[in-house]
Amino acid sequence: MFQNLNVFQTAMALAKHSGLRQALSAQNIANADTPGYHALDIPDFEATVRGSEGSQRATRDRHLHGLRQDHLPEPTLRRASVDPNGNSVSIEGEMMMAVAASRGHGRALSIYRSSLNILRTSLGR
Amino acid sequence: MSAFSDALSVSSSGLRAQAERLRVVSENIANVDTPGYRRKTLPFEPGEGRDGVRNVQAGDTRLDRSDLERIWDPEHPLADPAGFYDGTNVDLIVELADAREAQRSYEANLKMFEQTRQMSSNLMDLLRRG
Repeated sequence: MFQNLNVFQTAMALAKHSGLRQALSAQNIANADTPGYHALDIPDFEATVRGSEGSQRATRDRHLHGLRQDHLPEPTLRRASVDPNGNSVSIEGEMMMAVAASRGHGRALSIYRSSLNILRTSLGR
Repeated sequence: MSAFSDALSVSSSGLRAQAERLRVVSENIANVDTPGYRRKTLPFEPGEGRDGVRNVQAGDTRLDRSDLERIWDPEHPLADPAGFYDGTNVDLIVELADAREAQRSYEANLKMFEQTRQMSSNLMDLLRRG
């Protein structure tokens, strides 16, 4: 019964999503001055969750439709204003993305910890 | 976890590239009065990281091929019969702007590195204290 709690799964998915976002943001900032580089981004976590809600849900690799819980979206190119050297990274935008990723990660870890505390309290430890 | 180590490695590649750029800029500024010195430029290129991570690396330095400044000073030891000698093609304003941009990008990379490390250590704390 307690082997696969939904709240833990969701928290883990959010933490993974935030980690990937942080990595993409770091990559964008490192390439902020590389000619011809296009900034990468992934959709918000809310958007990916909403996409899987109320529709079919895949739970195994061979299932056709729906999203698996641990599925991470593919990075997409961000179409923003492009510098004369073909670079589309905006440092300010990346800062926003990185802070959002950091907050999401912190939120996921807090949820995880508090759920763990509830379980522990219910066990009387 | 691998996302974090990717982020750390790509941030450090950015730091290295920007530091190298700053070094080239300071060479140019130091030689602003050296006769016959051509300014160096440093191109940034995408490097290959592990599994699709795109690091950045500084390429080979090149010399700016634009014309050197002609300075009129008949007393100068290097002056030709007409009284001119070759100065540099370094423009201090351009170099300072470049240095400022390099510094800004360096700080952004450093901040990213710090933030990723913080997130990673938060995760470790969760494991430690449960």
